[in-house]
Amino acid sequence: MNQVLLLSIVLLPLLGGVLLALMRRAEKRAADTAFLSVLALEAAAVTAYLCLPDATVRLFSMTDALTVSLASDGISRVFLAVGAYGFLLSGVYATRYMARGERQASFYGWMLFSLGALCGMDLSQNLITMYLFFEAATLLSMPLVLHDRTEESIRAALKYLFYSIAGAFLALLAIFVLGRFTTTLDFAAGGTLTADAAAHRTLLEIVVFLGVIGFGAKAGLYPLHGWLPTAHPVAPAPASAALSGIIAKAGVLAILRLVFYIVGADFLRGTWVQIAWMSLALLTVFMGSMMAYREDLFKKRLAYSSVSQISYVLVGLFTLTPSGVTGGILHVIFHACIKICLFLVAGSVIVNLEKTRVSDLVGVGKQMPITLFSFTIASLGLIGIPPASGFVSKWYLALGALDTGIPVLNWLVPIVLLVSALLTAGYLLPITIRGFFPGKDFSAPPKTDEGTAVMWLPIAILGAASLLLGVCSGPLVDWIFTLVAPLV
Amino acid sequence: MIAFFVNFPLFSIVLCLLCAVLCALLKGKAARIVSLSLCGVVAVLAFCVLVYGLQTGAATEYPMGHYPHPWGNELRFGIAEPLVALVFAVVMLLCLIGGKQQLDVDLEPGKRNLYYVMCDLVLVSLLALAYTNDVFTGYVFIEICTIASCGLLMIRQIGRTTLAATRYMIFSLIGSGLFLLGVILLYGVTGQLLMPSLKAAIAALWEGGQYRTALLSAMTLMTVGLAIKSGLFPFHLWMPDTYAYSTPASAGILSGLVSKGYSFLLIKLVFGVFGTDVFYGSGVSNVLYVFGALGIIVGSISAAREKDVFRMIAFSSAAQIGYLYFGIGLTPALGMLAAIFHLLTHAVTKPLLFLAAGQLGEAAGGRLRHTWRGAAHRNRTAGLMFSLGAFSMIGIPLTMGFVSKYRFALAAFERPTLLVVTLIVLAVSTVLNAMYFMRVIIGIYTPVPERRTRMTLREQRPFAVSSLLLALLNLSAGVAAQPLVLLLERGLSLL
Amino acid sequence: MQGFWEQVWNVRIPIAAVLLFAVGFVTLLLHRNLLKKIIGLNIMDTAAYLMLTSFGYIEGRLSPIIQNGNTDPALYGNPLPAGLVLTGIVVSVSVTAVLLALTVRLYARYHSLNLDEIYAMAQKEHGLG
Repeated sequence: MNQVLLLSIVLLPLLGGVLLALMRRAEKRAADTAFLSVLALEAAAVTAYLCLPDATVRLFSMTDALTVSLASDGISRVFLAVGAYGFLLSGVYATRYMARGERQASFYGWMLFSLGALCGMDLSQNLITMYLFFEAATLLSMPLVLHDRTEESIRAALKYLFYSIAGAFLALLAIFVLGRFTTTLDFAAGGTLTADAAAHRTLLEIVVFLGVIGFGAKAGLYPLHGWLPTAHPVAPAPASAALSGIIAKAGVLAILRLVFYIVGADFLRGTWVQIAWMSLALLTVFMGSMMAYREDLFKKRLAYSSVSQISYVLVGLFTLTPSGVTGGILHVIFHACIKICLFLVAGSVIVNLEKTRVSDLVGVGKQMPITLFSFTIASLGLIGIPPASGFVSKWYLALGALDTGIPVLNWLVPIVLLVSALLTAGYLLPITIRGFFPGKDFSAPPKTDEGTAVMWLPIAILGAASLLLGVCSGPLVDWIFTLVAPLV
Repeated sequence: MIAFFVNFPLFSIVLCLLCAVLCALLKGKAARIVSLSLCGVVAVLAFCVLVYGLQTGAATEYPMGHYPHPWGNELRFGIAEPLVALVFAVVMLLCLIGGKQQLDVDLEPGKRNLYYVMCDLVLVSLLALAYTNDVFTGYVFIEICTIASCGLLMIRQIGRTTLAATRYMIFSLIGSGLFLLGVILLYGVTGQLLMPSLKAAIAALWEGGQYRTALLSAMTLMTVGLAIKSGLFPFHLWMPDTYAYSTPASAGILSGLVSKGYSFLLIKLVFGVFGTDVFYGSGVSNVLYVFGALGIIVGSISAAREKDVFRMIAFSSAAQIGYLYFGIGLTPALGMLAAIFHLLTHAVTKPLLFLAAGQLGEAAGGRLRHTWRGAAHRNRTAGLMFSLGAFSMIGIPLTMGFVSKYRFALAAFERPTLLVVTLIVLAVSTVLNAMYFMRVIIGIYTPVPERRTRMTLREQRPFAVSSLLLALLNLSAGVAAQPLVLLLERGLSLL
Repeated sequence: MQGFWEQVWNVRIPIAAVLLFAVGFVTLLLHRNLLKKIIGLNIMDTAAYLMLTSFGYIEGRLSPIIQNGNTDPALYGNPLPAGLVLTGIVVSVSVTAVLLALTVRLYARYHSLNLDEIYAMAQKEHGLG
């Protein structure tokens, strides 16, 4: 029973994608219904799964050493939940957002395919399976970027693909080398390195370093981050939300699995690799915020913000301390919630007001009060003002960094986090301020309908969630600490 | 019953020759039917030989004309030989089916049967190269193969193709000339032509330190000759025009099979004549490794710079041939296994790419990349198949290409001194592959405003059937590669 | 010193063959004129056959045909190379024929035997693609 459910979590979206691909010519209404029911079923399956015990399903073997199999654990539950609920909310929003365009069915189909690949990645039992779904997630989410079929989107998709494949093959290099120096490529907390691995420390350090850089391409880690601000904003808003909030987290998951479940934190603690990773992640945090601060296009600003925020998560992971990793995983959840909300807001602004630049956004609060109010709440979360959610995760991130005991970095991390938080405030709050207080010479245009409840409700739910998750974060934090305990 | 299978290699060779003669007398359509059924029959025969090889678990030496060992001409087959022959026959069949549409256009009505004569001759020489146990017979069939392949090329009567055929001939003849000189040198030193006797003689001489220079030169000449013929860098320059301007079926056969026949002969020579100790001890293998690596990189870069999609695929072939020799040069066990696996991968994938490219080129009405925009929307099957072939070339998991790359990486660990270089070459070439193939894929899926008529499935049934089968071969071997790897492992131990 | 020259003398034919082969090889590779290339090819092949034939000839032995009922193999030269050379010649003739046919075709189309010129014309004819 458990196994069937596990398998169906992966297969359901994929089959749903096939179904929608066949419904190419169907009416939009039928496509909407199919899309939403698949997403709802998936969310239900994931919810059921959160409470059920672990299971393993062995699918097939490519060769003796390369088996494809699924299994679940605590970490996969976190990512599954984020993925399924996030997609459900963006999906509901999409039915209205996409109303004016064409080829909805194909858009829905690719959304479902991406979700399926992500679920497969969340549930992978070994590195090979995860790599397989990682590649699949890249290929299947690319059409989302391509949806508009404009020159710009094609170029963006190409850039996305090129970075992702370059990254994936760096990772593949690491997998090949690790295949030689591990007892098994199955995930096991604490790593699976063989006894003689220590003798090849330098080689292993180099390839693991490169592997993380490779997987980091998906998460927008410097130096393979270049595609993210180009590709994410090009997609339709619900897809941008999914890409930034959820699909980019695939990179985080891959790094988490590689570092903690294959190599093991002990092998890396205190090495140059850890220092280099932390420095790169910190650099990305700062650079992303800076770029976001200077960017005028709304969605692009949010994409830069994602670059920065996902690297918060990575900083947390790279501290290799319980609080740091916990903070990172918490930030995965919170950032998903917040960033989906922000992108959906950006989408609403585009659809209802036809404005894409931040500098044009004056008096939005008068026209779309609920939307902008949710935006404000979510922004506060991203900045990290207590008691909003971002504060909780950043608190543990900073604690983790202080615990590392690496000179300079242990105090540099909190400082950079603080500076970046200020920048975040700098690039998000002006939108709120000018939205609600447009100034005297602003003549209020009529209030719009905010795109009916289908559009503002997901935004409001996410906004509220970003606040509530922070206020009642106690049990969540405790649970994640228990998940992280065996890893570090 | 199974004991009778031992005669099948000879039967298949004779049958091909008979069919070639027969096709010369028949009309075009009949010749086509004869050739297609010939490929099918040969495939079945090869399969039977494979079963025989698995049953006996040993290599069989099959004397022809009842002359005992050092004098007669012999065939020799274990597991790898019939397997390769089987793949060759099947892929050739699919190429001929899939390229039918363009063949109808490219072949002069009165001369259609001649094309099939050439096909049968190519098939017979490939079979002979796979099965023969005699180096001079090998040489003769190399030349037959050259002439027949040239025939497959020049059947398309445009100036550039004739020119390409001329260049192909010239390069090929340089290669076979060197090979012949090598054979003669070996004969001069050892007095033998049969592979097992040669191997024993060479091992003895090498052990005793006699005729080192002569042996080394012979080995180098034969290796280089075969390498030139299959298009290893820096002798790959004939490839782009040759493949790009021939009819897709010919391009598929030439790139997927003919160049592989030569490489397979080299693999046989390494095991059956030079002996792995001598070959890998002498450093010839390192030369192959270096030129293989250069070929991979240069081929990929040239492909990435190419605007003509057909030439791009051809340059990618140059890179793939590089892979083959790269593997052969790497190590005798895992490297060789990776090479021979890649041989099969490429034999299955490249024809698929050329056939699909032929269809897409037709749909696009041009050869240059920018004219291909939206071609996949006009011809969906071809677009899909092209993408699949490209994925396999890049090495996306679940395709054969991925398993190939994985085998190469495994082989890299067998030679720790070259580990880093090997892995870097693999990584660089993969990224380049991804870059240039993806550019085309994105292009063909970009919609263009004016929609020309869309190709229906019925119009292109032959292509759809054959490409689907090729794709299935590729995917099934990519998803469950283990049986194939085991088979090849056993096959290599019997070579 | 005497020994060295004697050794060279013993392999005079293979040396000549290799030199001839090199001449043919270079002609085939470097000349731009198609006919010269074909001639180069033939020189190359002939060199190979010369070498092969020389292995069949053994100083002081009879031609390999049984004479006076004497079946002692030590009396006779090696007959096999002659057979190989014959095969080789057939191959080389057919290859030459194919190449000549191609040349005729190219000449009929481009009125030139220079490969570079032909290439340039072909490129012009088909554009870049």
